[in-house]
Amino acid sequence: MNLVASPEVLVDHLFRSRAGQMVSYLTRLLGPEHLDLAEEAVQEALLKALQNWPYAGVPENPAGWLFRVARNAALDAIRHRTMAGEKNTEFATQRLRDAEAVVKDKSDDRLEEQLRDDELQMVLMCCHPALSSEARVALSLKTVGGFSTREIARAFLSDERTIAQRLVRAKRQIRESSIAFELPGGDDLALRLESALAVIYLMFNEGYAAQSGEDLVRHDLCGEALRLGQLLAGSSVCTPQVDALVALMAFQAARLAARVDASGELVLLEDQDRAQWDRGLIALGFRYFARCAAGRQISSYHVQAAIAATHARATTGGDIHWQTILELYDQLMDLSPSPIVALNRAVVIAKLQGPEAALGALRPFLEDSSLRNYYLLPAVRGNLLLEIGDREAAADCFRQALERPCSEPEKRFLQRKLKECEQL
Amino acid sequence: MPSYMLLIYDNPANWASVSPEDMQKALEKYMAWGGKLRSSGAYLASHKLADDVGKVMRGRGQARVTDGPYSETKEILGGYFLVKAANYNEAVEYARGCPSLEFGGTVEVRQVDPMTEAA
Repeated sequence: MNLVASPEVLVDHLFRSRAGQMVSYLTRLLGPEHLDLAEEAVQEALLKALQNWPYAGVPENPAGWLFRVARNAALDAIRHRTMAGEKNTEFATQRLRDAEAVVKDKSDDRLEEQLRDDELQMVLMCCHPALSSEARVALSLKTVGGFSTREIARAFLSDERTIAQRLVRAKRQIRESSIAFELPGGDDLALRLESALAVIYLMFNEGYAAQSGEDLVRHDLCGEALRLGQLLAGSSVCTPQVDALVALMAFQAARLAARVDASGELVLLEDQDRAQWDRGLIALGFRYFARCAAGRQISSYHVQAAIAATHARATTGGDIHWQTILELYDQLMDLSPSPIVALNRAVVIAKLQGPEAALGALRPFLEDSSLRNYYLLPAVRGNLLLEIGDREAAADCFRQALERPCSEPEKRFLQRKLKECEQL
Repeated sequence: MPSYMLLIYDNPANWASVSPEDMQKALEKYMAWGGKLRSSGAYLASHKLADDVGKVMRGRGQARVTDGPYSETKEILGGYFLVKAANYNEAVEYARGCPSLEFGGTVEVRQVDPMTEAA
């Protein structure tokens, strides 16, 4: 065996990305009812690498090594289950035996394609409508994303036990509903794809809501969502909607780093240092944005991507084409009206028609129960009131916003605003 | 220069629910540590021992063979590094960088008896 001792040979995130592939690959061979067995085998393979490579060096083909060891671990585990009396394991055993478990080398395009297909089918399985939408996200992150239960809990500000139970229930549901590992056809595919896009969108937004200084795991959610989006976009199931979502995420992700300044304070979009935007991601965004225009149907992802593209086109904060953005928000309100869209639209109205008009646009949503815990509603109102000089009402708004959940930089931002009201 | 054995004891159960990403980070630490031993010229050899408990042989004359002594304890001897060092202090300094210490493991440092190395 050829061994390399240098640590640099390990590709970044090799374990995470290969873990998802291995779980998908083994689940195809074992059947979805043995998803847990696939996960255990992969964990064992990674542990074996951790135990062996420090002494022996990294094998020449690390991924191939991991696949081979994981497959053997799965074979062992299914043998144990068969001996313990579990029925109907012959098929899984046979398929594992027949499997070409070796990832020969990176030039093996056919195998990489098979692995991409496996991952794709895994995503579609995790996004089966029989599962709750929370379970879909958790399961996708666990199986395809290579996130641990603890990381998922951290990312969703939940506790580990809740997530673990959610995963157990989801796997039971997969067994009981005999959800298959396959590429669904026709209407079923459309339904599953829509669900997958919703899962990816949620994943991305959850990560995007995190600020720097907070757990970086949450930013990894954005990366994983973008990766899954591109996985779908590069497959046979791609639709213009998929392209639109990838464009939207790429534009947003490009701005992640610019959202806080050097001292960790929040920077509003129009004040951001555009030199800090990730050029590569912006270009990626425009590439997918061009592709998504191919469809006849305009989805909410299309409109959101168009808004993000308009921001990306502006070379300076003063250069933002607010009129175009307002028209897009109007369109978005028609397509998928929500109080949050309305709130964003009000901010644009303020830019174009002034604070009074924006306050008017917000009025119908003040009592909306879905915004009860959303700090941005009082924060935006506070800003508008401050602009028209109603300092007392503005201060009330900022105090209200501070009582709602938000990140540390957001909190400091609100406190600065509150002080501004009190000092003037 | 004398040689030292760094015997590394680990508890595999610690890793049961660790994420792939964190396992890779841990592995990278090990590789960096091993790389440093190599580049400094201290490295002589390293081996991972098989995951079973091994065999213990006891007695006079006819030895009684039993399973290894570690079956009841959680920590098992995972493997060893053989290094060259001027003295125990230096060997201990090498061992100090071993990531197992960070993950709740134990490292035992033993000098190879210089008399056996004379040849």
